[in-house]
Amino acid sequence: MSRRLASGALVALVALATGFVLADQVRTQLLTPSNQVARYQALVRSVSELEATNADSRRQIADLRASIDSLESSAAAQSAGTQALRDQVADLRSHAGLSAVHGPGVRVTLRNGIAGPGPVGSAGYLVNFQDVQDVVNLLVASGAEAIAVNGRRLTPLSSFSGSQGQVVIDQGPPLSSPFTVLAIGDRNRMSDALADPSALPDIRAREVQFQLDLTFTGGPDIELPAYDSSLQIPHVSPA
Amino acid sequence: MSARPRLAGRVSLWLIALLVAAVATIQIRSQAEVERSLVGVDATSLAFLIDDLHRANDSLAAEKSDLNRRHATLASGQSGAVDQELTDEAQRLRAIEGLIPVRGPAVVMVIDVNGLTALDLQDALNNLAAAGAEALDVNGHRFVTGLAITNTAGGVAIDGAVIVAPWKITAIGDTSRMSDVADVMTQQLRADRRVRSVSYQVGNDVEIGSVLSEKPFVYAVPS
Repeated sequence: MSRRLASGALVALVALATGFVLADQVRTQLLTPSNQVARYQALVRSVSELEATNADSRRQIADLRASIDSLESSAAAQSAGTQALRDQVADLRSHAGLSAVHGPGVRVTLRNGIAGPGPVGSAGYLVNFQDVQDVVNLLVASGAEAIAVNGRRLTPLSSFSGSQGQVVIDQGPPLSSPFTVLAIGDRNRMSDALADPSALPDIRAREVQFQLDLTFTGGPDIELPAYDSSLQIPHVSPA
Repeated sequence: MSARPRLAGRVSLWLIALLVAAVATIQIRSQAEVERSLVGVDATSLAFLIDDLHRANDSLAAEKSDLNRRHATLASGQSGAVDQELTDEAQRLRAIEGLIPVRGPAVVMVIDVNGLTALDLQDALNNLAAAGAEALDVNGHRFVTGLAITNTAGGVAIDGAVIVAPWKITAIGDTSRMSDVADVMTQQLRADRRVRSVSYQVGNDVEIGSVLSEKPFVYAVPS
């Protein structure tokens, strides 16, 4: 009886080992000789570590700016001259995107096109930075005074980049669909521009071809966050 | 052999087969999960993202360092420190918002075009901004993000002012990075039949004299 049990256990062990070898063999077939997936994983890990550092730095910058504002406020309370200077700077900060603002506006949402026949989970069309930039430019042309994309406030120095559905704005992390563009301004004018079928011709074409999704709603009081990254201009000096 | 051990043997065999199948399935599925999470982003794009994030984090570190210095100065309570810091910041923000003339190292591109659109100019200015341009001017018109670039009957316009060809784009900033981008832009534009000629130069000290006028907010209110 005990011999039979031992041989049974041995068979089970051999079968288990065979299972592992088989699975590993199948996996090796999928990996390709250069072990692309392992390299992908390393790259993805790097991106996620850098994003964590990025988020932490932006949090610290926001805290430092709040702390500086508080020190300036205390000093301004004791001097009319300092208060006048502080008011000037507050206005400039507001226009540069360095302080949170609110007001009437629109909320635009842009989503990837529907899944195509390719690999599972792939989208038929991935919204890219130029699509987001086109929406932003249309809003600006319609009188938007302040804009944020997925919580990132735009500044006079803002730029857009990225590839394959990833959109990078300034020093922020890569953003992906759905994109929410918030704009404060004349909401009727901005809504009319967004509803105009002749506006955003590339996006309209992709709505038809790939079911890319562009929707918008007006709001009486939209809140935009302050810019939380660098606005250094080390190469520029007053002329 | 009795019936009971034979049954036990069969059950063991089924259990082993199930175990092998489960192990193989788990291995293959975990592989598929990794691939699915990376759909749409290839290794080259990830490498570019890493490069961008490194550069962004360096900029954020410089900003933190500057803010820490300002905080220490303000906290020291030195006479006039707050006024000086506010005056300096006001001047810096005026430069950022295009309200004062500025100077510095620059890339100056001249694009002689026939039929380029607002999107072409938007792309050109965005490329330079993404490459570190800190102040921009097109044909004597200051440009900052937040100004509309539109197609009009008279041609491409920035904030309503028509920009007549040739376009002369001046970008003050990190000339090393901007030159790389200007190289690529030049090659791409030369392949475009609408472009008659394109060239760029790097200057060590170029002035942008154009300025924008302040536009008070009508709708946006500080929170």
